[in-house]
Amino acid sequence: MGEKGPMRFSFKSIKTSGLSLEDVEIAVGRLAIEEEWEPMGPTPMPKIETLRSWDMKLLKRYRPFYMPICDLCCLCTYGKCDLTRGKRGSCGLTLDAQQGRIVMIACAIGAATHASHARELVDLLIERYGEDWPIDLGEEVHVEMPHTRLVVGIKPKTLGDLSYALNYVEEQIVQTLAASHTGQESDYMDFESKSLHLGMLDHVAMEIADVAQIITFGFPRGDPEAPLAEIGLGCVDVSKPLIMCIGHNVTNSIDIIDFMEKSGLGAPGEMIEVAGLCCTAHDTVRYRKSAKVVGPISYQLRFVRSGAADVIVTDEQCIHTSILYEAQRVKAPVISVSNKALRGLEEVSDKPVDEIVNMLVTGKVPGVAILDLEKAAAVAVLTALRIAPLRKKFKVVPNREELVKIASKCVKCGSCRRNCPIDLPVDEAVSAAKNGDLSKLAEIHDLCLGCARCESACMREIPILSLITGAADYKIKTSKFKMRVGRGPIRDTEIREVGSPIVLGEIPGVIALVGCANYPSGGKEVAIMAEEFLRRRYIVVASGCAAMSIAEYRTEEGTTLYEEYSGAFEAGGLVNVGSCVANAHISGACIKIANIFARRNLRANYEEIADYVLNRVGACGIAWGAMSQKAASIATGFNRLGVPVILGPQGAKYRRLYLGRKEDLESFTVYDARTGERVWVGPAPEHLVYVAESREEAMVMAAKLCLRPNDTTKGRMIKLTHYVELHKKFYGTLPPDLHLYIRTEADIPITHKFEIMNYLKKVDWKPWEKPIVDPTLLKRLIRVKK
Amino acid sequence: MAVTPWQYGNVPGPKVALTLKGDVAGRIIKAAKKPLIIVGAEALKVKIGEERTLLDYAIELSRLSGAPIVATSHTLKAFLERGFKPAAVMGSVEITDRLRDPSWSIDGSEAHDLVIYLGIAYQLQSQLLSALKNFALHLKTISLDRYYHPNASWSFPNLSFDKWVDNLNMVLEVLSDGVGGKR
Repeated sequence: MGEKGPMRFSFKSIKTSGLSLEDVEIAVGRLAIEEEWEPMGPTPMPKIETLRSWDMKLLKRYRPFYMPICDLCCLCTYGKCDLTRGKRGSCGLTLDAQQGRIVMIACAIGAATHASHARELVDLLIERYGEDWPIDLGEEVHVEMPHTRLVVGIKPKTLGDLSYALNYVEEQIVQTLAASHTGQESDYMDFESKSLHLGMLDHVAMEIADVAQIITFGFPRGDPEAPLAEIGLGCVDVSKPLIMCIGHNVTNSIDIIDFMEKSGLGAPGEMIEVAGLCCTAHDTVRYRKSAKVVGPISYQLRFVRSGAADVIVTDEQCIHTSILYEAQRVKAPVISVSNKALRGLEEVSDKPVDEIVNMLVTGKVPGVAILDLEKAAAVAVLTALRIAPLRKKFKVVPNREELVKIASKCVKCGSCRRNCPIDLPVDEAVSAAKNGDLSKLAEIHDLCLGCARCESACMREIPILSLITGAADYKIKTSKFKMRVGRGPIRDTEIREVGSPIVLGEIPGVIALVGCANYPSGGKEVAIMAEEFLRRRYIVVASGCAAMSIAEYRTEEGTTLYEEYSGAFEAGGLVNVGSCVANAHISGACIKIANIFARRNLRANYEEIADYVLNRVGACGIAWGAMSQKAASIATGFNRLGVPVILGPQGAKYRRLYLGRKEDLESFTVYDARTGERVWVGPAPEHLVYVAESREEAMVMAAKLCLRPNDTTKGRMIKLTHYVELHKKFYGTLPPDLHLYIRTEADIPITHKFEIMNYLKKVDWKPWEKPIVDPTLLKRLIRVKK
Repeated sequence: MAVTPWQYGNVPGPKVALTLKGDVAGRIIKAAKKPLIIVGAEALKVKIGEERTLLDYAIELSRLSGAPIVATSHTLKAFLERGFKPAAVMGSVEITDRLRDPSWSIDGSEAHDLVIYLGIAYQLQSQLLSALKNFALHLKTISLDRYYHPNASWSFPNLSFDKWVDNLNMVLEVLSDGVGGKR
């Protein structure tokens, strides 16, 4: 840890009595022993300013569009400052810059959270496995860490190398975050450049975190046939003691499973159930598929209140901060294993296991913090075994009779609805329950975010979330599905297979369904979008809560999409890469296409690779329920790499989008690398971050955002077929901007040729003079200058 | 008494919308030189009569006011099924982005002076209105949705369903009978 370097010394000539050398370079530090696997590119370990010119190229085309959620600034004691309608704050800042600043802070929080997660993993794993533990992702993954190679400029070989790469990420996050202090950065475009920098760092941090856990814990290494695991609120056997792990850092879950197996208690599910919520669940089933995934973040409180969990272990990120209170209500002790979330608990890492178990079983304390993970695992298992017979799955979810009685307290003031983040008609549902009609509460169960803000606002103190859970009891019991466990990276062999059809456009695109569970109308929408694109033979990749939501849906055949579609990175494949940190494999696949298929140099060559991805790789993210700061930085990292992202309507609260304007022809010009000419290539992709009102709009836009200037005529025809079909299906007409994407008649979808030809006549379309170019935004890539 | 935003936490800052009734909204729309109506996907779901949705209302509003409609999301299909052709189909963020530009209008001539929003989900509409409130000083905005939108220039207060429909109808009455306004 803390290793610095490298330091380079250059000498024109060195002469001593016995030696004479010219043009000498001496390097001291880790890179001094780095093999020359590729010439060093132009931007190793980029600083804030290094890639600024690339950012400005993006931001010139995709202008920031700000939607302030608050018109004030209250970050220093000059404030509150009213920045409405052009006013400046006491420090001189304007509202647009303030929006850029807040988004940048969100990205810094997101990147720092993943970097901290990675640091905890790497340090612990070095302690356990040694810093020379090799990075081995199997025979079919040679480009093991594309982000690390691309950004840091090293080819990591050991856990120790990951620590070194992480030093760089941590340093840059600190440097960039400092720009948000009062009286530092003042220009909104520069704040955006810094957000993009943080997003890029975030992907490096995520890659480090996921690779570290894959290589040490034996997770699938890009296996398209990774096993299926059980998921759903009803998938646990409540007759057994149950340990529930919530959060993102899987180490504690793994230690729990190891302790159980070493102690003769068998694998998860044999004598004790081990279940997870949120991303730690993803990673737990990557370790043992017999563990259970309860579901996404939105199920936390409902599951705890159901009383099924006997011990709750929390690590880090996205854990409901009332978890201790909620656990106390059902007499389940909490063990916190992260110093980032100690929850006011006594830290007992130095006490003997038996003593801690006694404290928890007797109820002397509601929970403890244990920062020694192996000890925490022993305490969790032994406590679960002893406390399960005592608490007898004590729950606070009312039965149907009790429910009606509680609901009768409702005066229909509407506070519940007006505090619901997605404006669900909670008041009407509770009111109906008063009269014995529980169907509306049960309907809300499928859409509810599970945040319990409604309860907090209720002046009659009605436990509304418990009513919703109770009313949907019959659904919950049968809520059992199958999810393919996170497979990790995309294999080099797969990239070789699909690189060409993706870049040429013959596979219509890669759709990444990612992000949290802040859905406007339930998780089912994510699955419906996945199914639509799978049927159209896009490559669909998924991660995090979205990957779970896809599992909780049955097709007409009664199976889940994971059972119906292949897990390979191929046309019509559904690839669950894993938890949040596995998002790096999705962006990593785009980088690998540029490197493995197109043979572009990877090492410290960020601009060129991002330019390639933007102009050639038809990928688009859909973060339908994006909620967290991590999601903000992940999306922004995708953007710097040239991958557009569509957010659900709640995403407008991130305050900033990157929108293109197709009528601004100049902004959609590129260099033709063959001639140096500046040529218009159509608005492809049209936006970098976009908010869709509905899933219908998201699907149409996603098909459009997979268009790239480099598409071949066959590829463009295939992509336009899907764009046209989706537009006709949901909008009823041909797309009104279709002519902007048809370069020659050969681009026209055959199935709609007659209709489109008529349309083209009406808009006076002419074939392009230069239909296919070698597109780039980088002048230095022009091969022949005129 | 101050009006609270429909979503209690949606408190933007010192500048918030003035509340109005349907007749005043009708006069403002009538007085506008170049109003524009933006209709979102919620208009497909919200019924304001036995066989009348908010989308049908928007068509009537457009016909009486002469203001063109921008259909956002997948509302276009429903408009066309009713024999009505919107002036444009665009994403709600795309049209709002362009409206920040004082030289932009849907027909390429003089800029709009009033934008009427209806049928866009509350949280999203609030953000769109905030963008125009702060970065389109040449524009006024009205939300005709049922709930108070503090980021608009003018908004209905939070209304019961029946009162909201009454107010919507009052807008049409003003536009149809020539009361008030210049146009």
